[in-house]
Amino acid sequence: MLETIFDLLANNAVPLQEHVSTDVVHGSLPKAAAALGVGLAALGAGIAERGIGAAAVGAIAEDREFFGIGLVMTVLPETLVILALVVIFLV
Amino acid sequence: MSSSETGNYEYVSARVRSRRAYLYGDEEYRRFVRMGPGEISRYMEETTYAQEVNEFGARYKGVDLIEYALNHNLASQFEDLLRWSEGELYEHISRYLKKFDAWNVKTILRGIYAKEDIERIRDDLIPAGEFKSAFLEQLIGSSDIEEFVNLLEGTMFGEVLSKGFREYEDTGLLVPLENAIDRCYYQQLLRKTEVVEDPSLVLYTDFLRAEIDFKNIMNALRIAHSGSEIPITEYYIQGGKQFTAAKLSSSMKNLDEMISMIRESTYGEQLSGAIEKLEGADSLISFEHELEAVLLEYCDRLSHVYPLSICPVIAFVLSKEKEIENVRAIARGKEAGLSPEEIEKQLVIS
Repeated sequence: MLETIFDLLANNAVPLQEHVSTDVVHGSLPKAAAALGVGLAALGAGIAERGIGAAAVGAIAEDREFFGIGLVMTVLPETLVILALVVIFLV
Repeated sequence: MSSSETGNYEYVSARVRSRRAYLYGDEEYRRFVRMGPGEISRYMEETTYAQEVNEFGARYKGVDLIEYALNHNLASQFEDLLRWSEGELYEHISRYLKKFDAWNVKTILRGIYAKEDIERIRDDLIPAGEFKSAFLEQLIGSSDIEEFVNLLEGTMFGEVLSKGFREYEDTGLLVPLENAIDRCYYQQLLRKTEVVEDPSLVLYTDFLRAEIDFKNIMNALRIAHSGSEIPITEYYIQGGKQFTAAKLSSSMKNLDEMISMIRESTYGEQLSGAIEKLEGADSLISFEHELEAVLLEYCDRLSHVYPLSICPVIAFVLSKEKEIENVRAIARGKEAGLSPEEIEKQLVIS
């Protein structure tokens, strides 16, 4: 998939000079990878939240007092996405 | 892997665990023992039994009210389990809950055999199984055992009952029919769980096998205690893990031998407390209660090891049943005028 992005970038970039175009392509590659990383992290968080959310809703249905703790537990995997977001600022 | 195929274990076990927290504990039982039936039902009204006590409060009084509230609460809680669960989990739970079908069929069978009053048979039914109440009514209404067996044709008990019926006709004993029902129930449970690789299901199968083992021990002990000469193969349920029919029949004549056999088995360690009690007292009831408590503990442990499996659900079903039995024992004991100490001996407290 990365290669397709690479090709796309390489073909569509208007080359003023030959060496500039490769610089552009090389510059965007880490960014594309970082974006993909964040996306995958979000997917992982989603999968984790599915189970926790189901359990939390079950507990809340029995006793409304679980609402607070259930909410906290459900969004806990969200930290994965936030940590992954750091990568965006690093590249 | 959608949740509708494998089951929504997270949701169901969260709800079931929460419900377990509301079951009565030692403290409540101790309080009940010192209360009268009226006070017990009033206390129940403030807890999970509110709906049932209110519903039946106008029609029944005292111990009857408690009994009805207990049975109907049990049924509605188990219906909830089926309502929540999906996929594979639903299948497992509904298969396990056929236990109550077996119970109801046995109760009606005994009722018909003893020519008991229809009203009294109806009181003892637990409407938590798969059979609809209209069908149960039909069964209660059957005039003799032959009609009863014919009515059950086509259900899961049909085949084994018609076989057992022939034996019944020869001997006039109810035992072959009752055992046919028990065997049939456990066989349908084990059949579906035999070839699995999922570790949680393997443990579940282990639990079922332990349950069968315990049932076999209890049956053997009862027969040994009553001193009758019924051969072990008559009531032995296949599928146990530890005790074969031959092993049981060789040791059942002597109670001490039986105890040492249980001690040498893998349950010996867990049952050590119960075994000591059995050696100390000649009462079979206390040993049976210990066995039940141990089975419950075993299942509880499984539910901690595999929280996302059927084990927490089964643990809930077992402890709910114990609760019903305990409250009923207290209420009935009070009615019969037993002392609090005597009633406490009848309780299963884990």
